Amino acid sequence: MPKNPSDIDHYNQHQRIKAEFITPPNVLKSKVGLGGLSEAILDKAQELLENNTVDFLPLAEMYLESLMKGIENSKRINPDDDVESLIISMLYPGMQLKANGGMFHYPLVTKIADKLIQFLEVIEAPDIEVIEIILAFHTTIRAVVLGRIKGDGGRHGAELLDALNEACMRYFDKKPR
Amino acid sequence: MAYQFHGIKILLIEDNQPMLDLAKSILSTFGVGMVYTAKNGEQGFKTFKETNPDLVIADWMMKPMDGISLTRLIRNDPKSPNQFIPVILMTGFSEKRRVLQARDAGVTEFLVKPFNARDLYRRIVQVIERPRQFVRSDDFFGPDRRRNRNAPFDGPFLRENDYSASSKEPPRLDFTAGPYRRVEVPPE
Repeated sequence: MPKNPSDIDHYNQHQRIKAEFITPPNVLKSKVGLGGLSEAILDKAQELLENNTVDFLPLAEMYLESLMKGIENSKRINPDDDVESLIISMLYPGMQLKANGGMFHYPLVTKIADKLIQFLEVIEAPDIEVIEIILAFHTTIRAVVLGRIKGDGGRHGAELLDALNEACMRYFDKKPR
Repeated sequence: MAYQFHGIKILLIEDNQPMLDLAKSILSTFGVGMVYTAKNGEQGFKTFKETNPDLVIADWMMKPMDGISLTRLIRNDPKSPNQFIPVILMTGFSEKRRVLQARDAGVTEFLVKPFNARDLYRRIVQVIERPRQFVRSDDFFGPDRRRNRNAPFDGPFLRENDYSASSKEPPRLDFTAGPYRRVEVPPE
């Protein structure tokens, strides 16, 4: 053993956490057997998903309304308010828009809401500039849904996404970590 | 030979009705014999206790109880009929810290929305064909958070003696040989 603690390069100790490892019986495997599903079944399931006739508009309106409530609450932020809860109140509908847009034929909503989530995940607090950016996301998603822009929106969709990206990047440049 | 899904029971928990209907239809197309449904974690745990399914597929964000809290109940509540059941968590989140949060609650697999039929199928295959060992420690009970605990090293070979010097090529790993074993390295 080295005389001086400063001479110790590495402790070289075993992990102290005591853990028990358990291998449970694989009930699922014993029930389903071998072989997987055929491509025909997977294609049929995919077709069912792609041909769903769910109207996304009422769902989107509900989540957009919830997002707007979060925005309004953030505008009235008090020093005592829980910032994390305010951000989550906008993150939740944003996440729902991302998750459901693509499931119900609005992949552009998914792309835009994904950027909104990325933005909300990194901001420190909903200051006035943040609120303006989130409002821009809200307005854009609403326009896409009300305009019934299904698919990726083509060149126009890409331009909308670029504009929102640029707004976020300008904010990050202005407020580096 | 093909999977026989008709004999399995899946509990699907989702608060969004169109999404619940869609996911249920996909599972039925896969041939799943019984799909129980619930609209939130609280109802889900009740149905879980009543039906004791073979697999749980749950959304993350639900009220009054979300998918993470539900998973904690399944893993730790004394009334849970099967603490080892695979849980697939569906969510729009894909950030690493969210995935880690779900993993730490005891979730088995993570399915990012929007997903397609094959994405869902792949997660189900994963829990069937690559079930995780469970770990019980002072502060955690759930699937092993280090997925490939016993898998052979598949990273880059950095030293000359990491593989035969004569071949100048890394050894070919035989993935068909059966369960992987941890290779014990003798002390130098």
